[in-house]
Amino acid sequence: MLSRRDFVKGGVALVTIGTTAQSLLKGAVAFAAQHPEAVAATRPKTLILVQLAGGNDGLRTLIPYEDGNYFDARPTLAIDPEEVLPLEDGLGLHPNLRGLHELWSEGTLAVVQGVGYPNQNYSHFKSMAIWQAGDPELSFDNGWLGRTLEAMESEIHDPLAGFNIGTSTPPELRNATVPITSVQDPEQFGIRVRGRPAEPSEPRTAALLKLYEEYPANSPFGVLLETTADTAVSTSQQLQAAAALYEPAVDYPQTAFAAGLSVLAQAIVADLGVRVGHISLGGFDTHTNEAAAHDALMATLDEGLSAFYRDLEAHGRADDVIVATWSEFARRVRENANGGTDHGAANCLFVVGRSVRRGLYGDPVSLTDLIDGGNLRHTVDFRSVYATLIERWFGVPHDELLGGRWPMVDFLPSV
Amino acid sequence: MDRSQPRELRARLLRRRMSRRTILAGGGALAAGGAATAAASLYAFPDASGGADDGAGSPAANRAPEEPLDGVAWAGHLLRRAGFGGSRAELERFARLPKEEAVEELLAIERVNVRPLEERLAAMGFSLEPGSDGIVRDMQGWWLSRMALTPRPLEERVTYFWHGLLTTQVSVLGPDRAHWCLWQNELYRSKGLGRFDELIHATAKDPAMMVYLDTVESTKEHPNENFARELLELFTMGEGNYTEEDVREAARAFTGWRLTRPRVQFDPDLSEEERRERFREALRQHRPEWFLAARQHDFGEKTFLGRTGPWGGEEIIDIVLEQPATARYISRRLFRFFVHDEPTDEELEPLVAAWNESGHEIRSLVRTILLSPSFGSFRAYRALVRSPVEFVVGMLRGLELDPAELFRAERRREGAALVRAYIAMDQLLFNPPNVAGWPGGPAWLSSSTFFARLNFLDAALFPGGRPRELPLLAGLSDPDELLEVLSYVFLDGELRDSARTVMRAHLQEVSDAHERRATAAYLVLASPEYQLI
Repeated sequence: MLSRRDFVKGGVALVTIGTTAQSLLKGAVAFAAQHPEAVAATRPKTLILVQLAGGNDGLRTLIPYEDGNYFDARPTLAIDPEEVLPLEDGLGLHPNLRGLHELWSEGTLAVVQGVGYPNQNYSHFKSMAIWQAGDPELSFDNGWLGRTLEAMESEIHDPLAGFNIGTSTPPELRNATVPITSVQDPEQFGIRVRGRPAEPSEPRTAALLKLYEEYPANSPFGVLLETTADTAVSTSQQLQAAAALYEPAVDYPQTAFAAGLSVLAQAIVADLGVRVGHISLGGFDTHTNEAAAHDALMATLDEGLSAFYRDLEAHGRADDVIVATWSEFARRVRENANGGTDHGAANCLFVVGRSVRRGLYGDPVSLTDLIDGGNLRHTVDFRSVYATLIERWFGVPHDELLGGRWPMVDFLPSV
Repeated sequence: MDRSQPRELRARLLRRRMSRRTILAGGGALAAGGAATAAASLYAFPDASGGADDGAGSPAANRAPEEPLDGVAWAGHLLRRAGFGGSRAELERFARLPKEEAVEELLAIERVNVRPLEERLAAMGFSLEPGSDGIVRDMQGWWLSRMALTPRPLEERVTYFWHGLLTTQVSVLGPDRAHWCLWQNELYRSKGLGRFDELIHATAKDPAMMVYLDTVESTKEHPNENFARELLELFTMGEGNYTEEDVREAARAFTGWRLTRPRVQFDPDLSEEERRERFREALRQHRPEWFLAARQHDFGEKTFLGRTGPWGGEEIIDIVLEQPATARYISRRLFRFFVHDEPTDEELEPLVAAWNESGHEIRSLVRTILLSPSFGSFRAYRALVRSPVEFVVGMLRGLELDPAELFRAERRREGAALVRAYIAMDQLLFNPPNVAGWPGGPAWLSSSTFFARLNFLDAALFPGGRPRELPLLAGLSDPDELLEVLSYVFLDGELRDSARTVMRAHLQEVSDAHERRATAAYLVLASPEYQLI
């Protein structure tokens, strides 16, 4: 059978920088229209990682609404049990997570509780670094997903295989061999002339690109420079062409988070070969006056993820994509004097997708058997979650990537 | 640990290049891919044997690596590596100087008065006061301006080197302590060319470093290994020259190292909130100093690198300084910064000798490097990828632009595009991505940073969409004259014939002379050659 790459290459006649992508994409689209089954069979699996930066309050996300200790510890911040969206085992979701609750009802949401690691670090920076490296000892100098992409490298050539919404490569995607594309704003991801976006055919831009095309390969960094220009222009063209082809099936909310998700959806729907997508939602460091801020964040998260999922579903892609959330730590069990919470330890996380097995995973966390002066003791090592994603989603052995063997968490079926 | 891994990336890029070429050759036929016939040397530096592409008129192609640089190529190379690039007048002067004289002039920083520089920088009105709004942003502008205006380019270059090696991230310190990074910067400037011993001892007690690598948290019950580990791995010896046990023992020696805190007296009527604010303010105004908190310090015996004694942090550093691994590591890091990425043992030998003979004086090592045949040959020419900082400062110096003009514009609305593009180039001074510093090399060039470079130029040369007046090009309008001046200043006068043809053809289509000048500058600064140093 033809691989996806083979037919992507099939449409090429004459290649110069800037014309590559559109002709490639047109060829691919024409091919896809004629052979939908072949395209579906060779589609890559995609993981979208959502970072909740600042330390999301797990106890206002997954709520132990039948545990009296919860209400004792959170006199002003506890969620009214009447408003909690119930899951099972006395746990439920924040009232603003309506979309995720609907996914739960449909069987496409998994919740893993008690996720953490030994000797919790309470610095944002350090704990993020640990999650991103996939290693509490920080002995790797690249990211866990970067290593995963490298392990799949023989089959990855697409410049958008690692696709980050943001300004620079996030540490979890860092690696030595697979280039990562970061796009903060698709409008900025391209060449501008006198401040306005320009096509590769615009005269000054055409002259410039010719300099790169003609730069001799035996000159210093000849390959690097030509490849950089070529990849940049073709990736930008691909994204533009994808934008022209793609019609969102839902109304995305007017938030930067949702806008970023729609860029990811667009690349996925246009078959641009995204294996790992990454996006961040910030503002979770709620030391003071947490309730209003956190309620709003829950809504932003929920509305964004729901729109993204419904969009993919409408485009027939809900089977190929899963979304996983993470945060560097949760927050202290007991609220502080300023109506907020301080840095904590074990947390819950979500995995969304039609391939996901619905359920609550991980042993319940205790609100009384606490560590480090009032924090939740973890029951699931975060590397088990990573190992499951690496092995059961991407089909890659995880041992080397995570420095050891970790037990699977059953939110994905075994392959 | 060596955190830049160019070799695999190189192999991968070669593969990709091959597949694109194969497509071209095959005229649409399916690429079989993989048959690697390209020589690995295609990537890094000229290979005299590989003549498949046209290298006509390219100074760096078709030249034997050992061939010495001379004239303006030597002058441009020296001023890019020992500084941030030269102006036209500097290039003309340095091209005429005997090589040794040129190097000695750059090294003799004490002979140059920096009072006027300090006054000019002060007059630019950056907010660098502790805790001031926008301090982190203005620290960028301040240092970039200093790099662009300094009459002591090598001093600034070496400061930039230590900033990338003995790193601290301002984002970890937070806005209230951002100015501590300026003190660290001044430390690297004042001690950067002196004896390494003094520099590393002072760095270990530098407030920004002590907070960044958790020295201030380390107690005898719970020694924090962070600083000890990075001291050995990244700052002095390099991985593989010590054991985990050495790290643990060294960590014990740095326990109880603390910084003085401000004394604040509170009015008993103050609320908790007011007290906290009062304390923050005092913290901003306080210049902390190192001291040993005896109760937190482990006075016991430690065995470090085979030597046993009741070592404190200072003794640990002294032992490290005696290690041959330290001589090799610092020599290697300096060589890779100034010359090229893959020094051989033979190339490092003279540096290690200079280290030993001079009592670890960095100036001696830099002199040895700048006068070495490796530095002065085509092997080193354009052998490093230009960093964003070098990109911006090289432009300012070469075009003789007043940084104040650029950074004033930054605060107006039309400056938004400039700032956005600067950030997207992905090198914020004082904020490297982690303790290992910027990986540099090919990592500087990605799709987004490539666009950012081009768009930075567009914003700098066409602010608000209109061409900027460029002092260097005042009065010129003929395309050939423009290209001659620009290629002299930025490309050592060596523009490939085919590139000149492309640029000239475009410039002839631009009728307005202002527009043509800015466009010529754009094309030269956006060219592949300018992305290298």
